[in-house]
Amino acid sequence: MLDILIQLGAGFINCMTPANLLMLVVGIVVGLLVGVLPGLTLVMGVILVLPFTYSMDITASIVLLTAMYVSGTYGGAFTAILFRIPGEPLDVPILWDGYTMAQKGRAADALGWTLIAALGGGLVSAVIMVLLTQPIATFALKFSTPEYFAIVAFGLASVIALGRGSLPNAFLSLGLGLLIASVGTDPIYGSYRFTLGLPILADGIEFLVVMVGAYGVGEVLARLEQGFASKPVEKIDQTSTRLPSLRELFALRWMFLRSSILGNVIGLVPGAGATIASFVSYGVEAQYGKRRKEMGTGIPEGIVAPQSASTASVGGALVPLLALGIPGSGATAVMLGAFMLQGVQPGPQILLTSSTMVYTIFASVFLGIALMCVLGFYFIRMLVKVLDFPEAIVSAFVMLMCFIGAMSIRNNLTDLWLMIGFGGIGYLLERFRFPIAPLVLGVILGPIAEESFMNAMISFDNDWTVFFTRPISGTVMAAVIVTLLLPFLSLGRRRRSEPAEASSQPR
Amino acid sequence: MAQRFRSTIPYFLGLAAAAVLYALADGISYTARPGQLGPDTWPLAAIAIIAVVCVYEIVRRLLVAGSVGSEVQGIAEHLDSDELDATAAEAKAGSRTYMLLAGMALTLAYAVVVQKLGFLLASYLFLILFMYLGGIRNHVAIWASSTIGMLLFAFIFLKVVYVSIPRGEPPFDQVTQLVMDLMQIR
Repeated sequence: MLDILIQLGAGFINCMTPANLLMLVVGIVVGLLVGVLPGLTLVMGVILVLPFTYSMDITASIVLLTAMYVSGTYGGAFTAILFRIPGEPLDVPILWDGYTMAQKGRAADALGWTLIAALGGGLVSAVIMVLLTQPIATFALKFSTPEYFAIVAFGLASVIALGRGSLPNAFLSLGLGLLIASVGTDPIYGSYRFTLGLPILADGIEFLVVMVGAYGVGEVLARLEQGFASKPVEKIDQTSTRLPSLRELFALRWMFLRSSILGNVIGLVPGAGATIASFVSYGVEAQYGKRRKEMGTGIPEGIVAPQSASTASVGGALVPLLALGIPGSGATAVMLGAFMLQGVQPGPQILLTSSTMVYTIFASVFLGIALMCVLGFYFIRMLVKVLDFPEAIVSAFVMLMCFIGAMSIRNNLTDLWLMIGFGGIGYLLERFRFPIAPLVLGVILGPIAEESFMNAMISFDNDWTVFFTRPISGTVMAAVIVTLLLPFLSLGRRRRSEPAEASSQPR
Repeated sequence: MAQRFRSTIPYFLGLAAAAVLYALADGISYTARPGQLGPDTWPLAAIAIIAVVCVYEIVRRLLVAGSVGSEVQGIAEHLDSDELDATAAEAKAGSRTYMLLAGMALTLAYAVVVQKLGFLLASYLFLILFMYLGGIRNHVAIWASSTIGMLLFAFIFLKVVYVSIPRGEPPFDQVTQLVMDLMQIR
């Protein structure tokens, strides 16, 4: 414990170097802007700044991306509360009570509760992150290939079962992602797969090319089809923030802690990110909270629960990335890409080989959360002003960033073509309601899954039962099965409840 | 019934794609090692997922699609959100296919000309055209933001964070050279 505190202290000192501090401030500001702008998603924002990190020091680049990730969960709350425009889907539950409170003339109170929720949720989650990463990494050192395969399978199952849209479509999206990941030279036999005679494809398809295309270009094309028709923004008289009193805070302490821990736990689960944390936390409060009957009428609980959970999910999502090398969300996948571009492989060894960097990243989360709240408190008027900026101009620059991002990954124009192709696929998937997240996670986790599966088969004489008979991998595989059954259970419950509701309707 | 058939088209296409991919995966050449799975195992597993799901969806849509709640959906689909549904509905209602096609054409054109014109000139033209396409009619805003943006990009990616970007072919490479001279980039 003392060792962790000493290393964290050193991390704070490292974080105070001009380069890291600058990246922290830039990341927080850009993350807030991305959160505010409705056409720009959090993952897209993180992807777009990636080219800037290529020649940066690895620590500074991860500090930048982490800062964006943290503040991206907070920025959208302003527009949700003030204009009923959720910057991100994760801000939707915040507007149910936040906007209602603002409509009652208490916008400053709503913004104050949001700020405190982001601060509290973020800090609780950061503490858990620091405490959990080391033990999980140490535990993961005992993992063999079946355990790794089981964990990756759990990540893929979660993204399918917990996402939006049809489950079969999610499976198709995942299958496509796994296929894209298998393009290139096979790591065991060295044979070419689906390379179509193109030399660049022998090196495989970079997952960042897929991400930039599917999330960046695909999203802009979808918005272009709608004519960049953002909701007009009303003029507001005041955008000040009034912090709640200590007595008000004390009254909500348990609910605060519950939502923060819930958000952190959801963040730990690969595939479940800030949006699910926000909705689930609001749902828990609406079902079990003391004031559950008043939820939606503009009460602080309806703001604190989703906001603290969504910000807390960030700390949770960083744990599997750093301790296991497995990204659980789009934003952490980009971070994995940033690590790998710099030749660093996150995973159980990282705390042994690069502990200074890891603890600097941890410290940056603490500092970033505090800085984000200070900026949110003082510069809210300026931040919401960016909504006046025409979306077509923002989108033109987003496209350009996507082009640079693709061209600079391997300094090759073929990647630009591939990225545009994946942009088209991303658009089509969105248009026909196929979820994109399984495709992207399939591309990212596919090589890890294949390598651990094939090595397990070699080590255990093609005995596939090994995934179920070893204690850790067996437990995780059971969790995979339960996770995949969840949507079926949910369908069964809906079917049972629908006839009951229909029969209770007056004729 | 016609509606049901129409809804199965993407899955029939998926099945056809799976068949083509199967043929490609089956043709992966390697020297087999006794008792060891080949490099085609993993892609074949992914293709099997695609094929099985397509068959399942075709059968479901043809036989039971009419029954209430027959589609298994991800958990987040049931998150109660009128705002998200409303956004999706608004998006569908305001669809402008011609803008989408023009945007796609512009993007493809960029990829075609970037090597010849160079990154700076191609990007400058792209920014201007994309803003006009996006419905902006304030000429000063378009030209000013494109010029400032382009110079900023040049400064960042050629001087601060060096990224290897196409310089262009003669005579268009002179534009890149001019900007580099202006910014004293060697």
